[in-house]
Amino acid sequence: MLTDRLNETHWTWLVYLEMFVAGVAAGAYVAATLLELSGRGRSPAARTAHLLAFPLMALAGLLLTVDLERPERFWHMIVQSDRGLPMLKPWSVMSLGSWLILAFSGVTFVSFVDALIDRGLFRLGGWRAGRTLHSSPLGLAWSVIGAGLGIAVAIYSGVLLSSSEFPGWSQLSTIPAVYVATALVTGVAAVVLIQALRGPLDPDTLSLERANLWLIGWWLVMVAFFVVSLVGRPDASIYLQSVPLLAILLAVVLAGILPLVLHLVQPMRRSGWLAVSSLLVLAGGFLLRYGIVMGPQLR
Amino acid sequence: MTQPMGFFTDTTLCIGCKACEVACKEWNQLPAINGGANTLSGDSYDNTRKLDGENWRHVKFIEQFDPTDVRREGGRWLLMSDVCKHCVEAGCLEVCPTGAIFRSEFDTVVIQSDICNGCRYCIAACPFDVIGINPANNTAMKCTLCYDRLKGGLTPACAQACPTASIQFGPLTELKARASQRVEKLHQAGENRAYLYGVEGDGHTDQIGGLNAFFLLVDPPETYRLPTRPTLPSKGTVTGWLSGWGSALVAGVVGLLALRQRRITAIGAAESEPIVDDRPAVVAGGAPEVE
Repeated sequence: MLTDRLNETHWTWLVYLEMFVAGVAAGAYVAATLLELSGRGRSPAARTAHLLAFPLMALAGLLLTVDLERPERFWHMIVQSDRGLPMLKPWSVMSLGSWLILAFSGVTFVSFVDALIDRGLFRLGGWRAGRTLHSSPLGLAWSVIGAGLGIAVAIYSGVLLSSSEFPGWSQLSTIPAVYVATALVTGVAAVVLIQALRGPLDPDTLSLERANLWLIGWWLVMVAFFVVSLVGRPDASIYLQSVPLLAILLAVVLAGILPLVLHLVQPMRRSGWLAVSSLLVLAGGFLLRYGIVMGPQLR
Repeated sequence: MTQPMGFFTDTTLCIGCKACEVACKEWNQLPAINGGANTLSGDSYDNTRKLDGENWRHVKFIEQFDPTDVRREGGRWLLMSDVCKHCVEAGCLEVCPTGAIFRSEFDTVVIQSDICNGCRYCIAACPFDVIGINPANNTAMKCTLCYDRLKGGLTPACAQACPTASIQFGPLTELKARASQRVEKLHQAGENRAYLYGVEGDGHTDQIGGLNAFFLLVDPPETYRLPTRPTLPSKGTVTGWLSGWGSALVAGVVGLLALRQRRITAIGAAESEPIVDDRPAVVAGGAPEVE
Protein backbone atom coordinates (compact mmCIF):
# COMPACT_ATOMS: atom_id res chain seq x y z
CA MET A 1 0.00 0.00 0.00
CA LEU A 2 1.22 3.50 -0.80
CA THR A 3 1.47 5.31 2.52
CA ASP A 4 2.38 8.68 1.03
CA ARG A 5 -0.65 9.37 -1.10
CA LEU A 6 -0.61 12.63 -3.01
CA ASN A 7 -4.23 12.70 -4.23
CA GLU A 8 -6.53 13.51 -1.33
CA THR A 9 -10.06 12.18 -1.13
CA HIS A 10 -11.14 15.40 0.59
CA TRP A 11 -13.71 13.55 2.67
CA THR A 12 -13.81 16.21 5.36
CA TRP A 13 -16.39 17.87 7.62
CA LEU A 14 -19.38 17.23 5.38
CA VAL A 15 -18.55 13.53 5.41
CA TYR A 16 -17.96 13.01 9.12
CA LEU A 17 -20.93 15.23 9.94
CA GLU A 18 -23.07 13.09 7.63
CA MET A 19 -21.79 9.90 9.23
CA PHE A 20 -22.60 11.31 12.66
CA VAL A 21 -26.07 12.53 11.69
CA ALA A 22 -27.03 9.32 9.86
CA GLY A 23 -25.65 7.33 12.80
CA VAL A 24 -27.81 9.24 15.27
CA ALA A 25 -30.87 8.68 13.05
CA ALA A 26 -30.12 4.95 12.82
CA GLY A 27 -29.45 4.64 16.54
CA ALA A 28 -32.66 6.51 17.41
CA TYR A 29 -34.73 4.28 15.15
CA VAL A 30 -33.14 1.15 16.60
CA ALA A 31 -33.86 2.50 20.11
CA ALA A 32 -37.54 2.92 19.22
CA THR A 33 -37.62 -0.62 17.86
CA LEU A 34 -36.00 -2.01 21.00
CA LEU A 35 -38.62 -0.21 23.09
CA GLU A 36 -41.36 -1.74 20.96
CA LEU A 37 -39.76 -5.18 21.12
CA SER A 38 -39.52 -4.97 24.91
CA GLY A 39 -43.30 -4.79 25.06
CA ARG A 40 -43.82 -1.08 25.57
CA GLY A 41 -45.66 -0.40 22.33
CA ARG A 42 -45.02 3.01 20.90
CA SER A 43 -43.95 4.90 23.99
CA PRO A 44 -43.39 8.68 23.98
CA ALA A 45 -39.66 8.01 23.68
CA ALA A 46 -40.24 5.80 20.64
CA ARG A 47 -42.41 8.47 19.06
CA THR A 48 -39.67 11.03 19.67
CA ALA A 49 -37.22 8.69 17.93
CA HIS A 50 -39.57 8.41 14.95
CA LEU A 51 -39.93 12.18 14.80
CA LEU A 52 -36.15 12.56 14.93
CA ALA A 53 -34.93 9.90 12.49
CA PHE A 54 -36.40 11.18 9.23
CA PRO A 55 -35.29 14.84 9.49
CA LEU A 56 -31.80 13.64 10.36
CA MET A 57 -31.74 11.29 7.37
CA ALA A 58 -32.92 14.13 5.13
CA LEU A 59 -30.08 16.25 6.48
CA ALA A 60 -27.61 13.39 5.93
CA GLY A 61 -28.72 13.05 2.31
CA LEU A 62 -28.33 16.78 1.83
CA LEU A 63 -24.81 16.73 3.30
CA LEU A 64 -23.79 13.86 1.03
CA THR A 65 -25.18 15.65 -2.00
CA VAL A 66 -23.43 18.91 -1.20
CA ASP A 67 -20.17 17.03 -0.70
CA LEU A 68 -20.19 15.79 -4.31
CA GLU A 69 -18.00 17.65 -6.78
CA ARG A 70 -21.04 17.71 -9.08
CA PRO A 71 -24.04 17.85 -6.69
CA GLU A 72 -26.54 18.20 -9.54
CA ARG A 73 -25.62 14.65 -10.54
CA PHE A 74 -26.48 13.11 -7.16
CA TRP A 75 -29.17 10.98 -8.82
CA HIS A 76 -26.50 9.14 -10.82
CA MET A 77 -26.01 7.09 -7.64
CA ILE A 78 -29.49 5.61 -8.02
CA VAL A 79 -30.38 5.88 -11.72
CA GLN A 80 -28.25 5.09 -14.75
CA SER A 81 -28.01 8.51 -16.31
CA ASP A 82 -27.87 7.23 -19.88
CA ARG A 83 -30.52 4.51 -19.73
CA GLY A 84 -32.80 5.45 -16.88
CA LEU A 85 -32.47 2.02 -15.28
CA PRO A 86 -31.67 1.51 -11.58
CA MET A 87 -27.97 1.96 -10.82
CA LEU A 88 -27.04 -0.72 -8.29
CA LYS A 89 -23.64 -2.34 -7.83
CA PRO A 90 -23.92 -4.40 -4.64
CA TRP A 91 -20.17 -5.02 -4.64
CA SER A 92 -19.54 -1.25 -4.51
CA VAL A 93 -19.98 -0.16 -0.90
CA MET A 94 -20.99 3.36 -1.92
CA SER A 95 -23.56 2.12 -4.42
CA LEU A 96 -25.07 -0.26 -1.88
CA GLY A 97 -24.90 2.48 0.77
CA SER A 98 -26.81 4.91 -1.46
CA TRP A 99 -29.65 2.40 -1.76
CA LEU A 100 -29.56 1.67 1.96
CA ILE A 101 -29.79 5.37 2.74
CA LEU A 102 -32.68 5.75 0.30
CA ALA A 103 -34.54 2.75 1.74
CA PHE A 104 -33.95 3.76 5.36
CA SER A 105 -35.02 7.33 4.60
CA GLY A 106 -38.23 5.94 3.12
CA VAL A 107 -38.95 3.83 6.20
CA THR A 108 -38.17 6.70 8.58
CA PHE A 109 -40.41 8.99 6.52
CA VAL A 110 -43.40 6.68 6.96
CA SER A 111 -42.71 6.37 10.71
CA PHE A 112 -42.30 10.16 10.90
CA VAL A 113 -45.68 10.78 9.24
CA ASP A 114 -47.19 8.08 11.43
CA ALA A 115 -45.85 9.81 14.55
CA LEU A 116 -47.30 13.15 13.42
CA ILE A 117 -50.67 11.50 12.79
CA ASP A 118 -50.40 9.79 16.17
CA ARG A 119 -50.05 13.22 17.73
CA GLY A 120 -53.28 14.23 16.02
CA LEU A 121 -51.69 16.86 13.79
CA PHE A 122 -53.51 15.59 10.68
CA ARG A 123 -55.06 12.48 9.17
CA LEU A 124 -54.81 10.71 5.83
CA GLY A 125 -58.08 8.88 5.21
CA GLY A 126 -58.21 5.95 7.60
CA TRP A 127 -54.70 6.69 8.78
CA ARG A 128 -55.51 8.73 11.84
CA ALA A 129 -54.71 9.05 15.55
CA GLY A 130 -55.54 5.81 17.31
CA ARG A 131 -55.24 3.86 14.04
CA THR A 132 -51.61 4.36 13.21
CA LEU A 133 -49.10 2.00 11.66
CA HIS A 134 -47.05 1.63 14.83
CA SER A 135 -50.11 0.84 16.92
CA SER A 136 -50.86 -2.15 14.69
CA PRO A 137 -49.08 -5.54 14.50
CA LEU A 138 -47.67 -4.45 11.14
CA GLY A 139 -45.93 -1.60 12.95
CA LEU A 140 -43.59 -3.93 14.78
CA ALA A 141 -42.58 -5.64 11.54
CA TRP A 142 -42.06 -2.21 9.97
CA SER A 143 -39.88 -1.19 12.93
CA VAL A 144 -37.77 -4.34 12.71
CA ILE A 145 -37.20 -3.81 8.98
CA GLY A 146 -36.36 -0.17 9.63
CA ALA A 147 -33.96 -1.05 12.43
CA GLY A 148 -32.20 -3.55 10.16
CA LEU A 149 -31.84 -0.92 7.47
CA GLY A 150 -30.69 1.63 10.06
CA ILE A 151 -28.01 -0.71 11.34
CA ALA A 152 -26.89 -1.37 7.75
CA VAL A 153 -26.66 2.40 7.16
CA ALA A 154 -24.59 2.78 10.34
CA ILE A 155 -22.25 -0.04 9.30
CA TYR A 156 -21.96 0.96 5.66
CA SER A 157 -20.06 4.19 6.30
CA GLY A 158 -17.44 2.25 8.26
CA VAL A 159 -17.18 -0.40 5.53
CA LEU A 160 -16.83 2.42 3.01
CA LEU A 161 -13.68 3.62 4.75
CA SER A 162 -12.21 0.16 5.24
CA SER A 163 -12.94 -0.82 1.61
CA SER A 164 -10.45 1.62 0.23
CA GLU A 165 -6.75 1.78 -0.42
CA PHE A 166 -6.35 4.89 1.70
CA PRO A 167 -3.70 4.35 4.39
CA GLY A 168 -5.25 4.36 7.85
CA TRP A 169 -8.65 3.15 6.60
CA SER A 170 -7.71 0.37 4.22
CA GLN A 171 -8.76 -3.10 5.38
CA LEU A 172 -9.32 -1.81 8.94
CA SER A 173 -12.40 -3.90 9.61
CA THR A 174 -12.78 -2.68 13.19
CA ILE A 175 -14.06 0.67 11.89
CA PRO A 176 -17.56 -0.68 11.03
CA ALA A 177 -17.79 -2.33 14.47
CA VAL A 178 -16.99 0.88 16.32
CA TYR A 179 -19.17 2.90 13.91
CA VAL A 180 -22.33 0.92 14.57
CA ALA A 181 -21.72 1.02 18.32
CA THR A 182 -21.27 4.80 18.09
CA ALA A 183 -24.50 5.12 16.12
CA LEU A 184 -26.44 3.22 18.77
CA VAL A 185 -25.15 5.14 21.81
CA THR A 186 -25.53 8.53 20.13
CA GLY A 187 -28.98 7.65 18.78
CA VAL A 188 -30.24 6.64 22.21
CA ALA A 189 -28.59 9.71 23.75
CA ALA A 190 -30.35 11.98 21.25
CA VAL A 191 -33.76 10.52 22.12
CA VAL A 192 -33.08 10.78 25.86
CA LEU A 193 -31.85 14.36 25.42
CA ILE A 194 -35.02 15.44 23.63
CA GLN A 195 -37.21 13.68 26.15
CA ALA A 196 -35.30 15.30 29.03
CA LEU A 197 -35.69 18.74 27.46
CA ARG A 198 -39.33 18.59 26.44
CA GLY A 199 -41.30 17.19 29.32
CA PRO A 200 -41.56 15.24 32.56
CA LEU A 201 -39.42 12.14 32.46
CA ASP A 202 -41.32 8.97 31.77
CA PRO A 203 -40.20 5.51 32.93
CA ASP A 204 -39.39 4.44 29.38
CA THR A 205 -36.96 7.31 28.89
CA LEU A 206 -35.26 6.37 32.14
CA SER A 207 -35.11 2.75 30.99
CA LEU A 208 -33.59 3.87 27.73
CA GLU A 209 -30.98 5.89 29.59
CA ARG A 210 -30.11 2.92 31.77
CA ALA A 211 -29.89 0.65 28.75
CA ASN A 212 -27.55 3.16 27.13
CA LEU A 213 -25.11 2.68 30.01
CA TRP A 214 -24.74 -0.93 28.89
CA LEU A 215 -24.41 0.17 25.30
CA ILE A 216 -21.73 2.66 26.32
CA GLY A 217 -19.90 -0.22 27.96
CA TRP A 218 -20.05 -2.12 24.66
CA TRP A 219 -18.96 0.99 22.78
CA LEU A 220 -15.90 1.29 25.02
CA VAL A 221 -15.06 -2.34 24.26
CA MET A 222 -15.35 -1.59 20.53
CA VAL A 223 -13.13 1.50 20.82
CA ALA A 224 -10.55 -0.60 22.64
CA PHE A 225 -10.91 -3.24 19.92
CA PHE A 226 -10.30 -0.53 17.31
CA VAL A 227 -7.19 0.79 19.07
CA VAL A 228 -5.76 -2.74 19.45
CA SER A 229 -6.32 -3.34 15.73
CA LEU A 230 -3.98 -0.43 14.97
CA VAL A 231 -1.04 -2.29 16.48
CA GLY A 232 1.32 -3.53 13.81
CA ARG A 233 -0.23 -1.27 11.18
CA PRO A 234 2.36 1.42 10.31
CA ASP A 235 -0.15 3.16 8.02
CA ALA A 236 -2.63 3.47 10.91
CA SER A 237 -0.14 4.82 13.43
CA ILE A 238 -1.48 8.30 12.59
CA TYR A 239 -4.44 7.56 14.89
CA LEU A 240 -2.06 7.39 17.80
CA GLN A 241 -0.54 10.80 17.14
CA SER A 242 -1.48 14.41 17.99
CA VAL A 243 -4.95 15.52 16.81
CA PRO A 244 -6.51 12.10 16.00
CA LEU A 245 -5.27 10.66 19.30
CA LEU A 246 -6.61 13.67 21.19
CA ALA A 247 -9.97 13.33 19.45
CA ILE A 248 -10.26 9.63 20.28
CA LEU A 249 -9.16 10.10 23.90
CA LEU A 250 -11.56 12.99 24.37
CA ALA A 251 -14.33 10.90 22.80
CA VAL A 252 -13.70 8.11 25.30
CA VAL A 253 -13.78 10.56 28.21
CA LEU A 254 -16.88 12.45 27.02
CA ALA A 255 -19.02 9.61 25.70
CA GLY A 256 -17.69 6.79 27.84
CA ILE A 257 -16.19 7.65 31.18
CA LEU A 258 -18.05 10.84 32.15
CA PRO A 259 -21.59 9.52 31.57
CA LEU A 260 -20.79 6.39 33.59
CA VAL A 261 -19.26 8.43 36.42
CA LEU A 262 -22.19 10.87 36.33
CA HIS A 263 -24.56 7.98 36.64
CA LEU A 264 -22.70 6.59 39.64
CA VAL A 265 -22.45 9.85 41.56
CA GLN A 266 -25.78 11.32 40.51
CA PRO A 267 -28.64 8.90 39.96
CA MET A 268 -30.20 9.99 36.70
CA ARG A 269 -33.62 10.92 37.89
CA ARG A 270 -33.32 14.59 37.12
CA SER A 271 -33.90 15.76 33.58
CA GLY A 272 -31.04 18.28 33.78
CA TRP A 273 -28.48 15.61 34.53
CA LEU A 274 -29.91 13.36 31.87
CA ALA A 275 -29.57 16.14 29.32
CA VAL A 276 -25.96 16.80 30.31
CA SER A 277 -25.08 13.12 30.16
CA SER A 278 -26.72 12.75 26.74
CA LEU A 279 -24.96 15.81 25.39
CA LEU A 280 -21.63 14.37 26.51
CA VAL A 281 -22.35 11.12 24.66
CA LEU A 282 -23.30 13.03 21.51
CA ALA A 283 -20.17 15.19 21.68
CA GLY A 284 -17.97 12.14 22.24
CA GLY A 285 -19.56 10.26 19.36
CA PHE A 286 -19.00 13.22 17.07
CA LEU A 287 -15.34 13.49 18.10
CA LEU A 288 -14.77 9.81 17.40
CA ARG A 289 -16.18 10.20 13.88
CA TYR A 290 -13.93 13.20 13.40
CA GLY A 291 -10.85 11.30 14.61
CA ILE A 292 -11.46 8.27 12.40
CA VAL A 293 -12.36 10.19 9.24
CA MET A 294 -9.85 13.01 9.53
CA GLY A 295 -6.98 11.21 11.25
CA PRO A 296 -5.48 9.59 8.15
CA GLN A 297 -6.17 12.72 6.10
CA LEU A 298 -4.21 14.95 8.49
CA ARG A 299 -1.01 13.11 7.59
CA MET B 1 -13.91 -7.23 -27.77
CA THR B 2 -10.79 -6.61 -29.78
CA GLN B 3 -7.60 -8.02 -28.32
CA PRO B 4 -6.45 -6.41 -25.04
CA MET B 5 -4.22 -3.43 -25.65
CA GLY B 6 -1.82 -1.73 -23.28
CA PHE B 7 1.44 0.03 -22.60
CA PHE B 8 4.87 -1.41 -21.97
CA THR B 9 7.03 1.28 -20.38
CA ASP B 10 10.73 0.44 -20.42
CA THR B 11 12.18 2.76 -17.79
CA THR B 12 15.76 2.04 -18.93
CA LEU B 13 15.04 3.83 -22.20
CA CYS B 14 13.42 6.95 -20.74
CA ILE B 15 15.49 10.12 -21.11
CA GLY B 16 13.11 12.38 -19.16
CA CYS B 17 12.22 14.61 -22.11
CA LYS B 18 8.55 14.79 -21.03
CA ALA B 19 7.32 14.67 -24.62
CA CYS B 20 4.75 12.14 -23.37
CA GLU B 21 3.42 14.62 -20.80
CA VAL B 22 3.12 17.36 -23.40
CA ALA B 23 1.51 15.12 -26.01
CA CYS B 24 -0.98 13.85 -23.45
CA LYS B 25 -1.91 17.33 -22.30
CA GLU B 26 -2.27 18.54 -25.86
CA TRP B 27 -4.38 15.68 -27.19
CA ASN B 28 -6.62 15.44 -24.16
CA GLN B 29 -6.87 19.22 -23.77
CA LEU B 30 -5.82 19.07 -20.13
CA PRO B 31 -5.29 22.36 -18.34
CA ALA B 32 -1.88 23.58 -17.23
CA ILE B 33 -1.10 23.22 -13.54
CA ASN B 34 -2.26 26.24 -11.57
CA GLY B 35 -3.31 28.03 -14.76
CA GLY B 36 0.26 27.94 -16.08
CA ALA B 37 1.68 29.70 -13.04
CA ASN B 38 3.24 26.54 -11.68
CA THR B 39 6.02 26.78 -9.12
CA LEU B 40 9.20 24.73 -9.04
CA SER B 41 8.96 21.68 -6.81
CA GLY B 42 12.63 21.53 -5.89
CA ASP B 43 12.43 17.79 -6.54
CA SER B 44 14.96 17.25 -9.31
CA TYR B 45 13.45 18.15 -12.70
CA ASP B 46 10.00 17.01 -11.65
CA ASN B 47 7.57 19.90 -11.48
CA THR B 48 4.54 17.82 -12.46
CA ARG B 49 4.82 16.08 -9.08
CA LYS B 50 2.10 13.45 -9.46
CA LEU B 51 -0.54 11.81 -11.58
CA ASP B 52 -3.98 13.32 -11.03
CA GLY B 53 -7.02 14.66 -12.84
CA GLU B 54 -5.03 17.07 -14.99
CA ASN B 55 -1.76 15.12 -15.33
CA TRP B 56 -2.29 11.73 -16.94
CA ARG B 57 1.39 11.13 -17.69
CA HIS B 58 4.11 11.94 -15.16
CA VAL B 59 7.83 11.53 -15.70
CA LYS B 60 9.47 10.66 -12.41
CA PHE B 61 13.06 11.70 -11.75
CA ILE B 62 14.61 9.51 -9.09
CA GLU B 63 18.10 10.65 -8.17
CA GLN B 64 20.28 7.98 -6.63
CA PHE B 65 23.44 9.83 -5.64
CA ASP B 66 25.48 9.57 -2.49
CA PRO B 67 26.03 13.13 -1.26
CA THR B 68 29.38 12.09 0.22
CA ASP B 69 30.57 10.77 -3.15
CA VAL B 70 31.85 14.02 -4.67
CA ARG B 71 32.87 12.34 -7.94
CA ARG B 72 29.38 10.87 -8.35
CA GLU B 73 30.80 7.65 -9.70
CA GLY B 74 28.21 5.29 -8.30
CA GLY B 75 25.17 7.48 -8.83
CA ARG B 76 22.39 7.16 -11.35
CA TRP B 77 19.12 8.68 -12.38
CA LEU B 78 16.06 6.49 -12.65
CA LEU B 79 13.53 7.93 -15.04
CA MET B 80 10.04 6.59 -15.39
CA SER B 81 7.03 7.82 -17.32
CA ASP B 82 4.19 6.86 -15.01
CA VAL B 83 0.59 6.41 -16.09
CA CYS B 84 -2.67 4.73 -15.07
CA LYS B 85 -2.02 1.01 -14.94
CA HIS B 86 -5.38 -0.04 -16.44
CA CYS B 87 -5.41 -2.87 -13.87
CA VAL B 88 -6.81 -6.23 -14.96
CA GLU B 89 -8.94 -6.07 -11.80
CA ALA B 90 -9.39 -2.35 -11.27
CA GLY B 91 -10.27 -0.96 -7.84
CA CYS B 92 -11.69 2.25 -9.32
CA LEU B 93 -13.98 0.34 -11.65
CA GLU B 94 -15.08 -1.91 -8.83
CA VAL B 95 -16.13 0.88 -6.45
CA CYS B 96 -17.54 3.52 -8.83
CA PRO B 97 -21.18 3.92 -7.71
CA THR B 98 -22.44 5.71 -10.82
CA GLY B 99 -21.17 3.42 -13.56
CA ALA B 100 -19.02 6.26 -14.87
CA ILE B 101 -16.00 3.95 -15.04
CA PHE B 102 -16.14 1.15 -17.56
CA ARG B 103 -13.87 -1.41 -19.18
CA SER B 104 -13.57 -0.69 -22.85
CA GLU B 105 -13.46 -3.09 -25.78
CA PHE B 106 -9.66 -2.67 -25.66
CA ASP B 107 -9.61 -3.97 -22.04
CA THR B 108 -8.66 -0.51 -20.80
CA VAL B 109 -10.33 1.35 -17.92
CA VAL B 110 -12.03 4.62 -18.84
CA ILE B 111 -13.87 7.28 -16.80
CA GLN B 112 -16.83 8.98 -18.50
CA SER B 113 -16.76 12.51 -17.17
CA ASP B 114 -20.34 13.18 -18.25
CA ILE B 115 -21.53 10.52 -15.80
CA CYS B 116 -19.09 10.99 -12.89
CA ASN B 117 -20.60 13.01 -10.04
CA GLY B 118 -17.35 13.52 -8.18
CA CYS B 119 -17.91 11.31 -5.13
CA ARG B 120 -14.12 10.71 -5.01
CA TYR B 121 -14.42 7.05 -3.97
CA CYS B 122 -12.26 6.00 -6.94
CA ILE B 123 -9.50 8.28 -5.65
CA ALA B 124 -9.47 6.42 -2.32
CA ALA B 125 -9.79 3.03 -4.06
CA CYS B 126 -6.90 3.31 -6.52
CA PRO B 127 -3.89 1.45 -5.13
CA PHE B 128 -1.57 3.48 -7.38
CA ASP B 129 -2.78 6.97 -6.39
CA VAL B 130 -3.47 7.78 -10.03
CA ILE B 131 -6.89 9.46 -10.05
CA GLY B 132 -7.65 13.04 -9.13
CA ILE B 133 -10.33 15.65 -9.63
CA ASN B 134 -9.90 17.79 -12.71
CA PRO B 135 -10.80 21.35 -11.67
CA ALA B 136 -11.89 22.14 -15.21
CA ASN B 137 -15.03 20.01 -14.93
CA ASN B 138 -14.98 18.86 -11.28
CA THR B 139 -15.00 15.17 -12.14
CA ALA B 140 -12.52 12.40 -11.45
CA MET B 141 -10.18 11.92 -14.36
CA LYS B 142 -7.20 9.84 -15.41
CA CYS B 143 -5.54 8.37 -18.49
CA THR B 144 -8.06 6.80 -20.89
CA LEU B 145 -5.26 5.17 -22.88
CA CYS B 146 -6.48 7.59 -25.56
CA TYR B 147 -9.76 5.75 -25.99
CA ASP B 148 -10.81 8.15 -28.73
CA ARG B 149 -7.58 7.58 -30.67
CA LEU B 150 -7.85 3.82 -30.22
CA LYS B 151 -11.33 3.85 -31.70
CA GLY B 152 -9.87 5.69 -34.67
CA GLY B 153 -7.08 3.13 -35.04
CA LEU B 154 -4.41 5.53 -33.78
CA THR B 155 -1.61 5.02 -31.26
CA PRO B 156 -2.05 6.85 -27.91
CA ALA B 157 -0.51 10.30 -27.99
CA CYS B 158 2.21 9.59 -25.40
CA ALA B 159 3.49 6.46 -27.14
CA GLN B 160 3.36 8.27 -30.48
CA ALA B 161 5.45 11.13 -29.09
CA CYS B 162 8.03 9.08 -27.15
CA PRO B 163 11.33 9.53 -29.02
CA THR B 164 13.13 6.55 -27.45
CA ALA B 165 10.37 3.91 -27.54
CA SER B 166 10.40 3.86 -23.75
CA ILE B 167 6.60 3.89 -24.05
CA GLN B 168 5.40 1.14 -26.35
CA PHE B 169 1.78 0.51 -27.25
CA GLY B 170 0.21 -2.58 -28.74
CA PRO B 171 -1.58 -5.87 -28.12
CA LEU B 172 -0.66 -7.13 -24.66
CA THR B 173 0.51 -10.55 -25.79
CA GLU B 174 2.89 -8.94 -28.21
CA LEU B 175 4.08 -6.36 -25.68
CA LYS B 176 4.73 -9.01 -23.03
CA ALA B 177 6.81 -11.11 -25.41
CA ARG B 178 8.78 -8.05 -26.38
CA ALA B 179 9.25 -7.05 -22.74
CA SER B 180 10.52 -10.51 -21.77
CA GLN B 181 13.08 -10.37 -24.57
CA ARG B 182 14.18 -6.95 -23.38
CA VAL B 183 14.69 -8.22 -19.82
CA GLU B 184 16.75 -11.11 -21.14
CA LYS B 185 18.84 -8.75 -23.22
CA LEU B 186 19.49 -6.50 -20.22
CA HIS B 187 20.46 -9.49 -18.09
CA GLN B 188 22.89 -10.59 -20.78
CA ALA B 189 24.32 -7.07 -20.81
CA GLY B 190 24.94 -7.28 -17.07
CA GLU B 191 21.90 -5.38 -15.79
CA ASN B 192 20.63 -8.22 -13.64
CA ARG B 193 18.30 -5.97 -11.66
CA ALA B 194 15.90 -5.64 -14.61
CA TYR B 195 12.47 -7.19 -14.13
CA LEU B 196 8.87 -6.68 -15.21
CA TYR B 197 6.29 -5.14 -12.86
CA GLY B 198 2.67 -5.83 -13.77
CA VAL B 199 2.84 -9.20 -15.55
CA GLU B 200 1.62 -12.59 -14.36
CA GLY B 201 3.85 -14.14 -11.74
CA ASP B 202 5.82 -10.99 -11.02
CA GLY B 203 5.25 -11.52 -7.29
CA HIS B 204 3.79 -8.04 -6.95
CA THR B 205 0.55 -7.50 -8.84
CA ASP B 206 -1.01 -10.96 -8.72
CA GLN B 207 -3.78 -9.84 -6.36
CA ILE B 208 -5.15 -7.48 -9.01
CA GLY B 209 -4.51 -9.84 -11.91
CA GLY B 210 -1.62 -7.85 -13.35
CA LEU B 211 -1.53 -4.55 -15.22
CA ASN B 212 -2.41 -3.63 -18.78
CA ALA B 213 0.17 -0.85 -18.49
CA PHE B 214 3.23 -2.62 -17.16
CA PHE B 215 6.82 -1.57 -16.57
CA LEU B 216 10.41 -2.71 -16.85
CA LEU B 217 12.13 -1.61 -13.64
CA VAL B 218 15.67 -1.92 -12.27
CA ASP B 219 14.95 -1.24 -8.60
CA PRO B 220 12.28 -2.41 -6.16
CA PRO B 221 8.77 -1.01 -6.83
CA GLU B 222 8.85 1.27 -3.79
CA THR B 223 11.83 3.14 -5.29
CA TYR B 224 9.50 4.21 -8.09
CA ARG B 225 6.69 4.91 -5.61
CA LEU B 226 4.79 1.84 -6.74
CA PRO B 227 3.03 -0.41 -4.20
CA THR B 228 4.85 -3.67 -3.52
CA ARG B 229 1.61 -5.64 -3.41
CA PRO B 230 -1.39 -3.64 -4.63
CA THR B 231 -4.77 -5.01 -3.58
CA LEU B 232 -8.41 -4.46 -4.40
CA PRO B 233 -10.38 -2.26 -1.99
CA SER B 234 -13.05 -4.94 -1.69
CA LYS B 235 -10.56 -7.29 -0.04
CA GLY B 236 -11.82 -6.30 3.41
CA THR B 237 -15.47 -5.61 2.56
CA VAL B 238 -16.95 -8.88 3.80
CA THR B 239 -14.90 -8.76 7.01
CA GLY B 240 -16.06 -5.19 7.53
CA TRP B 241 -19.74 -6.08 7.16
CA LEU B 242 -19.33 -9.08 9.45
CA SER B 243 -17.58 -7.07 12.16
CA GLY B 244 -20.27 -4.38 11.93
CA TRP B 245 -23.17 -6.83 12.15
CA GLY B 246 -21.43 -8.71 14.96
CA SER B 247 -21.07 -5.52 16.96
CA ALA B 248 -24.69 -4.54 16.22
CA LEU B 249 -25.98 -7.95 17.25
CA VAL B 250 -24.23 -7.84 20.63
CA ALA B 251 -25.34 -4.24 21.21
CA GLY B 252 -28.93 -5.10 20.23
CA VAL B 253 -29.10 -8.05 22.60
CA VAL B 254 -27.51 -6.04 25.41
CA GLY B 255 -29.93 -3.16 24.83
CA LEU B 256 -32.98 -5.38 24.61
CA LEU B 257 -32.05 -7.33 27.73
CA ALA B 258 -31.47 -4.10 29.66
CA LEU B 259 -34.82 -2.73 28.53
CA ARG B 260 -36.67 -5.96 29.27
CA GLN B 261 -35.10 -6.17 32.71
CA ARG B 262 -36.27 -2.67 33.48
CA ARG B 263 -39.71 -3.51 32.14
CA ILE B 264 -40.00 -6.58 34.35
CA THR B 265 -38.81 -4.59 37.37
CA ALA B 266 -41.31 -1.85 36.65
CA ILE B 267 -44.18 -4.29 36.30
CA GLY B 268 -43.17 -6.23 39.41
CA ALA B 269 -42.86 -3.25 41.65
CA ALA B 270 -43.86 0.28 40.88
CA GLU B 271 -41.04 2.74 40.80
CA SER B 272 -40.02 3.29 44.40
CA GLU B 273 -38.38 6.63 43.80
CA PRO B 274 -40.27 9.60 42.48
CA ILE B 275 -39.12 10.94 39.14
CA VAL B 276 -37.95 14.49 39.53
CA ASP B 277 -38.42 17.03 36.81
CA ASP B 278 -36.12 19.91 37.69
CA ARG B 279 -37.11 22.11 34.76
CA PRO B 280 -39.31 25.16 35.28
CA ALA B 281 -42.99 24.31 35.45
CA VAL B 282 -44.84 24.49 32.15
CA VAL B 283 -47.35 27.29 32.29
CA ALA B 284 -50.73 27.19 30.70
CA GLY B 285 -50.50 27.86 27.00
CA GLY B 286 -46.83 26.93 26.95
CA ALA B 287 -45.21 23.94 25.35
CA PRO B 288 -47.45 20.88 25.51
CA GLU B 289 -46.48 18.19 27.93
CA VAL B 290 -45.30 14.94 26.60
CA GLU B 291 -47.95 12.27 26.40
